[in-house]
Amino acid sequence: MSIDAQDHPDSETYDEDEDEDRTRIQQWARDWIEHPNKAYAVMGVFGAGVLLTTTLFPLYWLFAVAMTPPGQSDIPLIPATFDFSAFIVIFQRIPFARYMFNSLFYAVSVTLIVLVVGSLAGYAFGRLRFKGKKVLLFSLLLISFFPPATLFLPLFQAFNQQIKMLGLFTLPVEIYQTPAAVITPISAFAMPLAIFILTTFYSQIPDGLEDAARIEGTTRLGALFRVVVPLSAPGVATAGILTFITTYVEFFFSFLMTGDQASEWAPIVNGVLAFQTRYTVRYDLQAAASLVAIIPVAILVVVAQEKIISGLTQGALKE
Amino acid sequence: MENLSEQAYAYLLLAPAFALLVVIAFWPLFEALRMSFFADDVLGGGKLGEFTGLTNYVQLLTNNNALAPATFLDPSFEVPILQQALFMTLLFAIITVVGETLLGFAYAMLMKKDFRGRRWVRVLIILPWSIPIVIQGMIFFLMFRPGFGLLTEPLQQLGIFSSIPLNTTFDGFVIVTVTDIWKTSAFMALLILAGLESVNQDLYEVADVMGASTWQRFRYITFPLVFPALMVAMLFRTMGALRVYGVIESTSVGCTTLPSMTCLVTQLMFGSSALYGSAAAASVLIAVVVGLFISVYLVFIRRSDQELGPA
Repeated sequence: MSIDAQDHPDSETYDEDEDEDRTRIQQWARDWIEHPNKAYAVMGVFGAGVLLTTTLFPLYWLFAVAMTPPGQSDIPLIPATFDFSAFIVIFQRIPFARYMFNSLFYAVSVTLIVLVVGSLAGYAFGRLRFKGKKVLLFSLLLISFFPPATLFLPLFQAFNQQIKMLGLFTLPVEIYQTPAAVITPISAFAMPLAIFILTTFYSQIPDGLEDAARIEGTTRLGALFRVVVPLSAPGVATAGILTFITTYVEFFFSFLMTGDQASEWAPIVNGVLAFQTRYTVRYDLQAAASLVAIIPVAILVVVAQEKIISGLTQGALKE
Repeated sequence: MENLSEQAYAYLLLAPAFALLVVIAFWPLFEALRMSFFADDVLGGGKLGEFTGLTNYVQLLTNNNALAPATFLDPSFEVPILQQALFMTLLFAIITVVGETLLGFAYAMLMKKDFRGRRWVRVLIILPWSIPIVIQGMIFFLMFRPGFGLLTEPLQQLGIFSSIPLNTTFDGFVIVTVTDIWKTSAFMALLILAGLESVNQDLYEVADVMGASTWQRFRYITFPLVFPALMVAMLFRTMGALRVYGVIESTSVGCTTLPSMTCLVTQLMFGSSALYGSAAAASVLIAVVVGLFISVYLVFIRRSDQELGPA
């Protein structure tokens, strides 16, 4: 009797709980069907959670490794001690700051070259009428699809000696292991996308504004750089940011067209790999160097994500 | 400059861009083609030997060159290295492009929604794409390091990976594939988002009035209208996947464990002997493969344009 008395209420409450659960789920389901926005909100939270783990975890893992003292091969997910010395040691073991400088120098140079040369071409494609426009635009697209490996051998040879290019002109000096050996090929590969973006933006500037400037006595080039370019600032910013990031993350030419040493204009590719190959067991240094090298682009993405997205969506694919 | 005709002025403005592209793209392509007809000069330190016609191509296709690196996928040396590189690269391209397209589409749908905190979700989506390739490789190198990496032991106990995943062809392939999908889905998402944004919103209102379900809205409005942009995005990514090299080197998997087409060229150039003739032939063959892919995509894009055209 006593057992029965004890059991009975228990099972009853259990059943009630289950019923409650069921009705709660049904309520949710009904709620979501009636207000799909709530369902989207839940999906959004779930998606954001997945994103957090996939994007942030690898970076957090780098941080955890950087905190772990050298020689320890078991990395705790939550660092036992917060020892930031690795972030200082990386600058002492190798001239890591110089590697960083070289990479930033490449990125800035390529961005400037691409914006100036690309603006000229984008203006011609977007605002002028001439024969062969479609063919030239198409050949531009084709070049951006060229596999760098196809072009590498002749370029490598050319950069390693004074060679006559096209039989027309001779390169003044060997340009292998100088900034030009990296900047020229990357500029060429980054150019087409920038030209596509700039073309779209420049073509949207009303003719009247440019005509007005011309009537007031501005030169043709002046009208381009004082009227068309400033009015297309969002597009120019997008093209510039995309080019900067493309150059900073680039591997192929950065790795193969430079020496290993920072003094030979080697970029962070070589700086980071130096830790992987020379300090093979200093995982803390490898991770710390990686984190430091991410900082410039991470800041750029946080500050300029709006520009990157709006520029690409308004520009690149309208053609 | 002020007195030039519009046409002449246009050509003048295009001159710097095309000069750069001629020097960096067109000239090397023809130079590679020319070099591919000359024999390797092993003793001459990377210079070319005498004219041999198509010998380099025949050697590459039949694996008849004793000096070419032999440590690729099949150590028995029976499958020509060119086929090995081609097989590996194509498999990589198919898996990564499909994976990145699916993930990128999901990301793009998420980015399009308006919600609180969207700015930071967008930052998180784009961030992996902006991380230097060498560091993407480094992250996954540190994750799969034997006796140390976070994922090495669990995956080994499950029997999926070997104890030295970074030196095993299959495991290395999986690692490099995951690395690439992690870093490039974001770029795919951006290009697909561009397509999504260009869809006329009025169409959805019409669909609502007609009582279309969410699936029908996707199937009959979103997908067909995004399709051209999707093809362009996939074309971009396929070209990127076919040049895979950086993640192979920086994850320390290396070209000998995982030979991609790009690896073929660098291995022939910087291997034990500098086989410039063969490397040039390999360069040209890569260009042919890439050209075939571009043509297939262009046919698809043109067809989808025509289908949409009259409507």
